[in-house]
Amino acid sequence: MSNEMMNKENWVLLFKEIGLDEATMIQWHKAFEARFPAGHQSFLEWLNIEENEIRHIRAL
Amino acid sequence: MFTIGQVAKKYTLSRSALIYYDTIGLLTPSGRSASNYRLYSENDLKKMDRIQLYRSAGLSLESIASLLEKENSDLNSTLENRLLTINGEIQKFRNQQKVILKILENESLERHSRVITKAIWVSMLRAAGLDDAGMENWHREFELTSPEAHQDFLESIGIDEDEIKAIRAM
Repeated sequence: MSNEMMNKENWVLLFKEIGLDEATMIQWHKAFEARFPAGHQSFLEWLNIEENEIRHIRAL
Repeated sequence: MFTIGQVAKKYTLSRSALIYYDTIGLLTPSGRSASNYRLYSENDLKKMDRIQLYRSAGLSLESIASLLEKENSDLNSTLENRLLTINGEIQKFRNQQKVILKILENESLERHSRVITKAIWVSMLRAAGLDDAGMENWHREFELTSPEAHQDFLESIGIDEDEIKAIRAM
């Protein structure tokens, strides 16, 4: 996956728009990491998040 | 002569098992003590040796009883039948083993795959608490705010053209 049009900020806005709060998003990353660690990585890369922050999110 | 307690200990069986063997006529002790306790002779113990041997081959008490009655006449066919049953069981376990390995393999493939499929994505959105209506809402918002990224995203999780069109038109 690669993408020029979506970034983390917009993704977070989108999730907030449909009613997900901060805590739910953190839970969501944890679940994503637990079940599909490699897919989580590629999703975060797709959002053009930089390496250090990806590491941080995956370690939540 | 041996008491029921001694026999039970020697064969690591319970007393009640020996009493049961007596009740069904599998192993009836040859003697009784003055106070009417069961007493087992050397011959009874030899019989018990055979019973235990056949038990360890997995034969039912019923087949053991008929084997002991008829003396070695039916032994081969009884054992052959038992062998067939065991082979069948082994085959069954092999099949279960295959199924388990397959499940584990899929799980591990999914875990290590960098490719996010539609199924993975749907299950992750459900994990975030979205039901079908929530997901539709999410697609609508996605389409509204970043239509190109929405298209790109749907392509990246392997959805075909027609379905993408339908989703984006929701």
